[in-house]
Amino acid sequence: MSKTAETTSLYQRQEKIYPREISGRFNRLRVIAAWILLGLFYVVAWIQIDGQQIVLFDLPARKFYVFGLTFWPQDFLFLAILLIIAAFCLFFFTALAGRLWCGYACPQTVWTEVFVALERFAEGNRMQRMKLDKAPMSGQKFRRKFTKQFLWVTFSLWTGFTFVGYFTPIRELAVAIAQFETGPWETFWVLFYGLATYGNAGYLREQVCKYMCPYARFQSAMFDADTLVISYDPERGEKRGKRARKANLEDLGLGDCIDCSWCVQVCPTGIDIRDGLQYDCIACGACIDACDQIMDKMNYPRGLIKYTTQHAIEKKPSRILRPRIFIYLGLLTVLCIGFALGVGGRDPLITDVIRDRNALYRVNNERVENTYTLSLINKTDDTQRYVISVQEPGYEVRTWPKIEVPGGAVQRVPVTISRAVDEVSGAYNIHFIIDSADAEANSEPLSVEPSRFFAPE
Amino acid sequence: MSIPSQHNNNDAIVPPPRPLVQRLGAILWPAFLLAGLGSMILFGLYDPVTLAELLDPPLVISRHAGYALGFFCLWAMTTASSYLTWVLLRPSARFKAPK
Ligand code: SF4
Ligand code: SF4
Repeated sequence: MSKTAETTSLYQRQEKIYPREISGRFNRLRVIAAWILLGLFYVVAWIQIDGQQIVLFDLPARKFYVFGLTFWPQDFLFLAILLIIAAFCLFFFTALAGRLWCGYACPQTVWTEVFVALERFAEGNRMQRMKLDKAPMSGQKFRRKFTKQFLWVTFSLWTGFTFVGYFTPIRELAVAIAQFETGPWETFWVLFYGLATYGNAGYLREQVCKYMCPYARFQSAMFDADTLVISYDPERGEKRGKRARKANLEDLGLGDCIDCSWCVQVCPTGIDIRDGLQYDCIACGACIDACDQIMDKMNYPRGLIKYTTQHAIEKKPSRILRPRIFIYLGLLTVLCIGFALGVGGRDPLITDVIRDRNALYRVNNERVENTYTLSLINKTDDTQRYVISVQEPGYEVRTWPKIEVPGGAVQRVPVTISRAVDEVSGAYNIHFIIDSADAEANSEPLSVEPSRFFAPE
Repeated sequence: MSIPSQHNNNDAIVPPPRPLVQRLGAILWPAFLLAGLGSMILFGLYDPVTLAELLDPPLVISRHAGYALGFFCLWAMTTASSYLTWVLLRPSARFKAPK
């Protein structure tokens, strides 16, 4: 054997998996979930209300629009809370029902299903696909492979385009693409995301779950003996073996498993669930559908493979409501309430005070002057007028006579404040007060921002 | 399918190397996720245009370019970290003696 052949033989070759198509309860659920999720993904980007895309993470403008709420970089905390809420939802559902996420909602699963469906459309069912791959190249094979690639590539590009459409207004992007005028970065991200979709859903598929996905390995930390998992009942199934439909199992000493290997053939990750729970199992339920069909054919009761818990298998009582669930649920509730309160009570004005970088102070006409730039972000939807003053007495404020900021805009306002030279030396803490021009007297100011005032020692 | 295993000096069984795609995937993908999270935090707090202006000499770039640059720098770093972890965890039997 040549050297190279020897080395390659050391590498565990990934056998291509041809999942068998199966219909049934869980398949139906999966298809519905996929339609809803993909439908949302591809459609929501196009929905506008009052000329505003309802979900747009406008990166160029650094503003996020989410269902009528506008988030600014200053609202970063909310984004963080949202991410934490998402993580806890995942923990919660994982503890409750295992890998629901993997089987029904993970983009990897959902897009893989679409790619498999397109493949099935172009190349036929499992048997036909296996035959086609073994057959030598022919006009017919070429045509089928070409159709598949064409569908995959088109779908990937559309996905990449939609994805970018969540970060830069999608309608403008569509026009730009139609006229071949997209910016270099938009083009790049469309292709990048398209390629990632194509590679992950077309080729890597279950390998992403088995070798690349961190969640697949973490989930054992969220599982316990009361978590719903997909499991084969060995007590009922063994000893497995072929038999005639009418055969008496007692005489043959056989269990209910007829060893037809359907559960293995339908499995998208190519495992045998009868070997016990494995981290490769994405809990898609395909093997349940397959096994139920066989059980029906044999006139055996369904549920040789089913959703169950470790405790149920061991014939111990299963509890859904257990401390872990309450803890996750409690944390989730607190976070959600915090988020809602926080978002509801956001300030209508954000102020940022930046000191002049060039000089600490200037002495002019017997007065010490400090210069600042106030950036005012009007987070309301209407134009607002503001007045700026300093809380501490004795300072004179010089700025624009009229400060007007359109709704949702940022305005940088230069401000100079001064005091008589003989009144001050060293550094002082001061507070800028920014209030609406038509605020009532004595009402809470919109914003109070601390800063420093410097004078010669 | 049986996979030949290697033995190291202590005769402990060493699993066979994984295929290239798996190794690449296991290094690049988690790095990608973390770089994405990192970019979100970094650019949620700071505007890439302002960050670039702080450089010495200041760099004038568009936001798009800033985001992309930031993301790929982070991805490069997280990838390097994943890669080093992989190197450190390789079984000793995998290191060939110099010829
Ligand atoms: S294992 Fe990971 S990639 Fe696969 S379905 Fe689950 S979360 Fe998605
Ligand atoms: S073992 Fe069953 S539930 Fe698990 S991935 Fe395979 S088919 Fe899906």
